[in-house]
Amino acid sequence: MNPPGSLGVLEEKEEEHLATPILGPSIHSDNPQERIQARRLRIAARLEARRREALGEYLDGKKESEEDQSKSYKQKEESRLKLAKLLLCGTELVTNIQVATDTREIHRRVEEEEIKRQRLEKLENEVKTSQDKFDEITVKWEEGKQRRIPQELWEMLNAQQGHCAGLIEDKNKLISELQQELKIKDDQYVKDLKKQSDDICLLLERMEEQVKNVMKTFRQELQNIEKAFEVERQELLTSNKKKWERALQAHNAKELEYLMNRIKKVEDYEKQLNKQRVWDCEEYNTIKIKLEQDVQILEQQLQQMKATYQLNQEKLEYNFQVLKKRDEESTVIKSQQKRKINRLHDVLNNLRSKYNKQVKQFQEENQSLTSDYKRLVLQFKELQKAMRHFALIDDKQFREIWLMNEEEAKDLINRALDVDRIIHTHHLGLPWMAPNFWFLKNVGPISQQQQKSATQILEEVLMEAEEDGAEEDSSASESYLDLPKQVSARTTRKILMLLCDESGFLIESKLLSLLLPLEKSECYLLRLDAIFSALGIENEDDLYKLVNFFLKYQAHHLPPSQEPLDLRAEKEGSLVDGKSQEKEPPPSPKLIHPNDVLKILEAFVMGLRKPRDSWVPVKLLKVVRDDSKDSEYWKALTTVIPATTENLWDALYTALEKYHLVLTQRAELLIENCSLERQNTELQQLLQQYLNTKINSELQVPPTQVFRVPTK
Amino acid sequence: MQETRTTESPSVLSRSSTSTQDRSSAVGQTSSTGPQPSKPTPIIPPLVKSTGPGSGSGVRRMRRIIAEDAEWSLAIVPLLTELCIQHIVKNFQNNPILKQLLPEHQKKVLNHLSPDLPLAVTANLIDDESYWRRCCTQRWPVCHVDNHGGSWKRMFFELHLENLLKHFIPNTTDPAVILSLLPLCRNYVRALRVDQFLPPMQLPAPPRGGDQSDSGSEGEMEEPAMDHYQLDDLVAGLSHLEELDLVYGVKDCGMNFEWNLFLFTYRDCHSLAATVKACHTLKIFRLTRSKVDDDKARILIRSLLDHPALEELDLSHNLIGDRGARAAAKLLSHSRLRVLNLANNQVRAPGAHSLAHALGHNSNLISLNLRLNCIEDEGGQALAHALHTNKCLTTLHLGGNELSEPTATLLSQVLTINTTLTSINLSCNHIGLDGGKQLLEGMSDNKTLLEFDLRLSDIAKESEYLIGQALCANREAARQRALNPSHFMSPVTAKGPENPVG
Repeated sequence: MNPPGSLGVLEEKEEEHLATPILGPSIHSDNPQERIQARRLRIAARLEARRREALGEYLDGKKESEEDQSKSYKQKEESRLKLAKLLLCGTELVTNIQVATDTREIHRRVEEEEIKRQRLEKLENEVKTSQDKFDEITVKWEEGKQRRIPQELWEMLNAQQGHCAGLIEDKNKLISELQQELKIKDDQYVKDLKKQSDDICLLLERMEEQVKNVMKTFRQELQNIEKAFEVERQELLTSNKKKWERALQAHNAKELEYLMNRIKKVEDYEKQLNKQRVWDCEEYNTIKIKLEQDVQILEQQLQQMKATYQLNQEKLEYNFQVLKKRDEESTVIKSQQKRKINRLHDVLNNLRSKYNKQVKQFQEENQSLTSDYKRLVLQFKELQKAMRHFALIDDKQFREIWLMNEEEAKDLINRALDVDRIIHTHHLGLPWMAPNFWFLKNVGPISQQQQKSATQILEEVLMEAEEDGAEEDSSASESYLDLPKQVSARTTRKILMLLCDESGFLIESKLLSLLLPLEKSECYLLRLDAIFSALGIENEDDLYKLVNFFLKYQAHHLPPSQEPLDLRAEKEGSLVDGKSQEKEPPPSPKLIHPNDVLKILEAFVMGLRKPRDSWVPVKLLKVVRDDSKDSEYWKALTTVIPATTENLWDALYTALEKYHLVLTQRAELLIENCSLERQNTELQQLLQQYLNTKINSELQVPPTQVFRVPTK
Repeated sequence: MQETRTTESPSVLSRSSTSTQDRSSAVGQTSSTGPQPSKPTPIIPPLVKSTGPGSGSGVRRMRRIIAEDAEWSLAIVPLLTELCIQHIVKNFQNNPILKQLLPEHQKKVLNHLSPDLPLAVTANLIDDESYWRRCCTQRWPVCHVDNHGGSWKRMFFELHLENLLKHFIPNTTDPAVILSLLPLCRNYVRALRVDQFLPPMQLPAPPRGGDQSDSGSEGEMEEPAMDHYQLDDLVAGLSHLEELDLVYGVKDCGMNFEWNLFLFTYRDCHSLAATVKACHTLKIFRLTRSKVDDDKARILIRSLLDHPALEELDLSHNLIGDRGARAAAKLLSHSRLRVLNLANNQVRAPGAHSLAHALGHNSNLISLNLRLNCIEDEGGQALAHALHTNKCLTTLHLGGNELSEPTATLLSQVLTINTTLTSINLSCNHIGLDGGKQLLEGMSDNKTLLEFDLRLSDIAKESEYLIGQALCANREAARQRALNPSHFMSPVTAKGPENPVG
């Protein structure tokens, strides 16, 4: 380096020492790159300083705005930035060495590679040339073998020797060159080692310096910060002191003012007090005189009072005596009462215990009774079950017995009738008419017809109506035979439809959702079922009651403008026959306004409730059979043969008996006759015998002469 | 009556005096003989006077008088516990009693124990840090306990073990020396940093030592004999080992230098690979300055594939080339590596390509160091492309890699996109003026980069300065974010008086 440059460097260095003491040593470094680095840093610092100057105003403005922030905060921030920068610079400075060695290493590597390549090239060239030379020599050896003349051979050998020597010399030269290079490398290695140790020394130095610097600046910054805090504190203290003093002065002035006011007030009050005193004295005197007078009067009164006191004392003593006595009495009474209370308490306790006992007893009883009741209920249920069972069996038995008896009776009747018929035809020769009685056709026990439930009816009605829709008038009219047919199916249906549409609120919402997918008629049916169950309509009668109620309601509430005749005609028609009604246009949908349906329903339900109250036991009675007709039936059975016939039979009987008697007599006579005939024959035989015997001949008079007659 | 009293009281007195004498003698007090003759003399007169009241009061008074004696105090008599503790301390080597004692007594014993006690006694018995601190400070003048997790006991065992390993000479030293230590230190050693492994002694070597040209071939011939200490037994025994920092080389060889001394043989490599593979707790593995070439690096890395815990791999200052780099790239995708250091190796463009490929799909690696390699622009561009997709890397060191302008343009694009990178080092490259401008452009859009080293990379001062400003702003913003993470305040722009640029 030239001296002026170094001088400049020194100057600059000193400048830098002033500005940033850390950057100093880098320029002194042995490493040229290091120095370059240092200079660069310096230039950068200068540039930065210039920039800062340019930015200065702006920053100043900013700083002013931050003036209200505390000084200490600013100092802290400043120090922080400064220290961060310091650390950054320091580490950079230290790592600069590493970076520099890295670059050096890279350069070295690149150079090394280059040198290596050259060396290899050189060696290869050398190998080639030496190979050529060697080949030449070997070729010459061949030539030498052909030489015969020793002189030539010697020359040639000499030449060969020279060539070989040259070759070896070349090789030796190469070796020496390489060795030279090796030596140079060794030297360089030593140099590198030295340099590295220098670098390390520098590194250490810098690190130490850095540590020192950092410590120093940290301390300085700490001091600065402390100072800043101190100054701030001082400022705060002074300002506070000033404030305090000002406040104190103000306070003093005010105090003085108050004092003056007070003094004035005190004087005023003194004056007032004096005035008051004089006035008080006067008043006191007057009052004193007045009071003395009062005292005299009061003394007199006192004397009087004393006298009355004496009197009162005596009275009181007497009263006291009386009261004492009374007290004694009252104590006696009290003790009596107490005793009474005790006794009553005892009684009460006794009663309580009794009550408790009774409560317990009753509870027990209650329990036992409830258990009994339960048992009985169970028994009752069982009994009911048994009863039902027995009823069933009884029914069956009853039916069987009935059937048996009936059969028997019928047999008997048939026999009787047969007999009657025989008597009439055979004996009396009269034409016989078979009697025609209702009971003869009856088979099984007589029973009342079951009532249909409302829903069944409904179903029927609806089905009917549907069929009706299909085949208009033919079937619908005749279908409603078994009902108390006041109303036509169509009207009923209309009413029911109306009811169904209007009183959807009676149906449960769940059911509605379930009904959606169903068919229309089914839907109606189920809806009406639900509505009826809600209304309490259970059987056929109720249903017809409802329908009638509707119609009646209509009749009552028909506005006068409409024709009442219409309804009447309809009613009559309904009573008379379905057909006539069918022909008439159905008036109901016109007549019943949908808004009225609810009213009608309400009225109907109110009306229905009354009869329903007494309805509950009916259910049980339903089971009991009506046996009133039984006896009648059986009695009727007995009268299958009327009394006239019986009389006839009686007469016939007596006649026949007589006839019988005659016949028996005749039979006896016949028998007698027979026996007489037989006797006769026998006697004839005997006679014959006797006649034929010799004795007769021997006799003087033969008997034959006597009895000629019978034989001849 | 009076006589009996008088006779009684002296006997009591004598008894008490003897007792005090006993005590004082037991203490071994020097001044015991001096005051004792004087004691009876002041005591007797009040006794004679006090014949009136009962003997009990006399005894009481006598006691009080003894207590008032200035020379006699209970404090100098050591407690029995003290004596016991002293005894325990004295015989600790033969009869270590510690756990049965009360805590305060334990503390006392530990404070008096000598640091020279055999490790077999103390290792598993004493957990007290202060004792181990004494041991450490006694053995080593400089102790950085922070390097050992802040535990003095761990530090003691780690340093002790390292010391033994450093001076272990194969075939000469008994391996049992180290293995016998194993049961004592297995629970405490977490890191093993050995910066020298001695080769086996060569008795026939010195006569041949002079010949420089033969040394290489000689070393190859005797390679099996040059193996260093095999770590496998030791490492398998250390159940908490997390860090392994090895240098196969010799320190302070001085003028006895031979290439033989720095030989990391294949057998060493294989055994080390097996050792590392078997150690499932290992987190940090460093093998530096050990002449690891491609083949050895491949052997080592193959054993590290799918290692369950490894987080940092440092193979700096070796001879790893492109194939080794490719193996390292494979390791990146087969492990949870967070730090990879391949500084000062011989990785070139192909190696950088494979590393970049692995980096593009990696989500673990935080730091990558390729200082002093020669990846050149081709490799640099590949890495920059990889950084377009990578969202994890925070530190990238590409110093001294012969990079130039093309890489810089790509990196500037990366800078605008990437929000994870906090530190990039491009020093000692030939970025050039235009490259510097492009980097500056990229920097203007970046808000996360905190460090950007561009020293000695031929960049214009202007752009370097401006980049430095941008970094300052980023640092300030990061500081603000760290201070109040909830809301990002605009950083205080008041720059300090000085603003030097790197």
